[in-house]
Amino acid sequence: MTVATATLRPPEQPADVGIETAVWRALAVFRVLGLLYAIAVYLRRYDEYAHPLGGWLVLALMAGWTVITAVAYGRPHLRRWPLLGADLVVAVGTVVATRFLDDADRIAAGAQTLPVVWAATPVLAFAVRGGWPAGVAAASGVGVADLVHRGALTVPTADNIVLLLLAGAVVGYTVSLARRGEGALARALAVQAAASERERLSREIHDSVLQVLALVGRRGQEAGGEAAEVGRLAADQERALRALVSAAPETVDGEVDLRALLSAYATSSVTVSTPATPVVLAAARAREVAAAVGAALANVTAHAGDAARAWVLLEEAGSEVVVSVRDDGRGFDCDRLEEARAEGRLGVSASIEGRVRDLGGTAVLESTPGAGTEVELRVPK
Amino acid sequence: MVDDHPMWREGVARDLTEGGFEVVATAGDGAEAVRRAPAARPQVVVLDLQLPVLSGVEATRQLIAADPSVRVLVLSASGEHADVLEAVKAGATGYLVKSASREELLDAVSRTAVGEAVFTPGLAGLVLGEFRRLSAAPSTPSGPPAPRLTDRETEVLRLVAKGLSYKQIAQRLVISHRTVQNHVQNTLTKLQLHNRVELVRYAIEQGLDDELG
Repeated sequence: MTVATATLRPPEQPADVGIETAVWRALAVFRVLGLLYAIAVYLRRYDEYAHPLGGWLVLALMAGWTVITAVAYGRPHLRRWPLLGADLVVAVGTVVATRFLDDADRIAAGAQTLPVVWAATPVLAFAVRGGWPAGVAAASGVGVADLVHRGALTVPTADNIVLLLLAGAVVGYTVSLARRGEGALARALAVQAAASERERLSREIHDSVLQVLALVGRRGQEAGGEAAEVGRLAADQERALRALVSAAPETVDGEVDLRALLSAYATSSVTVSTPATPVVLAAARAREVAAAVGAALANVTAHAGDAARAWVLLEEAGSEVVVSVRDDGRGFDCDRLEEARAEGRLGVSASIEGRVRDLGGTAVLESTPGAGTEVELRVPK
Repeated sequence: MVDDHPMWREGVARDLTEGGFEVVATAGDGAEAVRRAPAARPQVVVLDLQLPVLSGVEATRQLIAADPSVRVLVLSASGEHADVLEAVKAGATGYLVKSASREELLDAVSRTAVGEAVFTPGLAGLVLGEFRRLSAAPSTPSGPPAPRLTDRETEVLRLVAKGLSYKQIAQRLVISHRTVQNHVQNTLTKLQLHNRVELVRYAIEQGLDDELG
């Protein structure tokens, strides 16, 4: 049975290669190809060199360095500036060495350097490691070496230097862009994984704990007396736990679903009604709106009377978010509120109105003695 | 009575029996509910949404398709927004949270039995939000026009969502209790009708695609 399950499993996926490893590997391949090209070029022209044996020695050095860097750059902890610096020095050295090994007339006539394109690899390495500024800096270094080799600024040399600078800048920029993309993807995957784990937990908790808590809440309240208190506590816990497992985490770009923040206020005496689809606001704004609603509810607790219940309604109207908080408590005379406001002793709505005004919204308070109070907050998204 | 939790199922069934209702059948999952309904012929199905095998939403759809006269009252935990809305669009006419008291449950079942819509503030908030979403969504030329609430219907729904009873709403708006009920009922009918038209359109499009493909 175990064997059968094992064979049904899909074949192991190869470990996902990050952009970092892939780019350094590509660089090693480029270096090998560059070396082969340099050898091919030299094989056709070595007899024209002033010191053919010296040329072979330089090529042997390049081959050795190609092997060393292939191994060293394969190890993340070695991809640091000392190794990169050495890489650049070797490349510059091979270019400059050509000036002393090749025939002076050939150089003046525009002959290629010994390493040809192999000398461009440290430029790419710098660009990969430090972005476009490092790429451009290394390209300048190799460019100076090219000038030393030629002894004059000829058109082909200038072309080469421009190409090197472009390669350094473009590769550097592209790699940093890809790295950022990879980072964003990793974060998105993490958010997704967290969300699906939350969904799984929420399902499990729903099927077990929440059902029992709801049942205890209901039976307790029917039994009355002390059991009613136990029931009320269980019902509150059920709501709190449900709000916790269903609360949406912040999205990658710092926005939250206002529904999750407001649902946390639900208790046995506070009902929260929302749309079925997310009401997305910038995290800071959403928290301010939630705090204003919290202040309104605290007000209900403080002034509306013990038996008062409250209802919170969240609506999305075009570019506005509308939150109404109503209670069925004592209420008060709105004229008295104006008086209190005039006398400057107004804790009631100051914190609500202040927060909402800061968000560019409005708060309207209505009350009738004996018929409860209603606050309506309108806040632009 | 459909719920996958035996304690709940039996508890609610007992409450209903003691309240003078006859419980013709109980079921532990959506598929069982759909299977047993034709023989048991219930007037009202009290149904949890999170059901194994066949979801509460799908069970609602199939129960009503098999017998359009059956009324579905969703008795579910609070906070299952999307599912509650889907169940109502599929034809459920009432929604009650599990934390509701026995009296509220009995009242809701008897109102559902006579065809009244049972709205909690939570359901009113969901329906309001759905109409806002439908009117805000870009209309497709081939699709049916988005259903709209009249100003009065919106006003009534908002008051329901803010916790006012039908009686309080009637007093505040100076209309009859019956008129409030009709307004609430109309909002559900519009939503369910729109949903059916959408489903048919979807089915036709899929069918055409299959033929062309």
